[in-house]
Amino acid sequence: MVLLSKRSISIEPLSRKKSIARGVWITISISALSILLATILALLAALGRLSKFPPFYAICTFYVSLIRGTPLYLQIFFFFLALPQVGIILPGLWAGVLALGLNYGAYMSEIFRAGLSSVGKGQREAALAIGMTPGQTMSRIVIPQALRFAIPPTGNEFIAMLKDSALVSATGFVHELMWRATKVGRAQFHNLEALITAAVFYWVMTLVFSYFQGRLEARMSRGER
Amino acid sequence: MLPIIKITNLDKFFGRLQVLKKISLEIYPQEVVCIIGRSGAGKSTLLRCINYLEEPSCGDIEVDGVCISAGKKGKDLRELIHELRLRSGMVFQEFNLFPHMTVLENVMEGPVTVKKMDKASAVKIAEMNLERVGMIIKKDEYPNRISGGQKQRVAIARALAMEPKVMLFDEPTSALDPELIGEVLTVMKSLAREGTTMLVVTHEMEFACDVASRVIVIHDGELVEQGAPADLLNHPQNVHTQALLERYRAGKSPQVEA
Repeated sequence: MVLLSKRSISIEPLSRKKSIARGVWITISISALSILLATILALLAALGRLSKFPPFYAICTFYVSLIRGTPLYLQIFFFFLALPQVGIILPGLWAGVLALGLNYGAYMSEIFRAGLSSVGKGQREAALAIGMTPGQTMSRIVIPQALRFAIPPTGNEFIAMLKDSALVSATGFVHELMWRATKVGRAQFHNLEALITAAVFYWVMTLVFSYFQGRLEARMSRGER
Repeated sequence: MLPIIKITNLDKFFGRLQVLKKISLEIYPQEVVCIIGRSGAGKSTLLRCINYLEEPSCGDIEVDGVCISAGKKGKDLRELIHELRLRSGMVFQEFNLFPHMTVLENVMEGPVTVKKMDKASAVKIAEMNLERVGMIIKKDEYPNRISGGQKQRVAIARALAMEPKVMLFDEPTSALDPELIGEVLTVMKSLAREGTTMLVVTHEMEFACDVASRVIVIHDGELVEQGAPADLLNHPQNVHTQALLERYRAGKSPQVEA
């Protein structure tokens, strides 16, 4: 991967690029862990919002409403700065994952809710009629079909999250791509080059994931009605 | 001989609307009973009460010795419903095959998930039942790759794989193109010949006439007449039966009307 030609530049920009590149893996790790957490939360929240059990419904509706009603930026600072005040100190990476996961989980719960509702009543009845319990009907028949519906838009969310993970840099505790770009840029008075380098990394990452998302979508559509 | 299904004084309300009125009915082993009636008469609701997909408002349902009285609650009820459903196989108008599973997996699902059977035995049972409905050659296809008639035959195999005591058919050919109806009726006829106890809600008068051992007429939630098909279809006693048969003779399906 040669972004800048070797001849034209001194040794310094190269090390700058390397320093920024190290952030790529942290950005990918944060995003991957966060999307995993978000998917689990989204599925639970979606089940909750379709549930007929009042406390479960209430908790899930409250969660989605609160998260969607406050800025992601605030939520990130809450986990880094507010929680330590009450004695909960999370390692930087995990605080970031928790904040992003909770936030995206709330938004993605709508995708999963639509997915669950897209599975017809007939499917449930057919499963119950062969003697499956309501739990088996959910896990074997309804959720697999809902996931098939939800996985392509979840890919979109992942791409959005790759970029929103940059917000975590604002806390200064997680040395991901954006943090490194601003740090290196300021130290060396090369903000323009540093930010362009970071932008290229983000862009390439989203291009790669868009490609895989396209392949996944094609795969998921097999066996569709 | 003891009946396989025994329904006593069954009432069903949807809100304030009474769709079934004091239905009592007994189905004996190896009988093929066809339920006919205009659409909205309560035929499907009656069938769906037998495996508690609809909860009866009043009355008793007994299938192969498992009896549930309406109004029961709690864990007891859930276990009884499970037992009831194991004893009956249901075939739906809309097939309701699981689209994310192959034909073979659809038929294996019950034995594996419900009966906790090992994979190899489940495959054996599934293949045997697909053979019975003539669908073994499509076993590795997904449901979206087969025709409506083929889907319904797979749905029949899926129900048979649970080895139920009685098969319930809810208008099994109503969602099919006319040219696909025959293959499904052929499968049902062969099941009847094998001695399967069947309860069939249908508009197929020819099938009722040829295969049924008894025909039941439901009108406005009431069981108004029943008898051997030759008697009932040729010499209907009840006015509603006469009107219904008149409509069929005029070539109008009472299902389209309504």
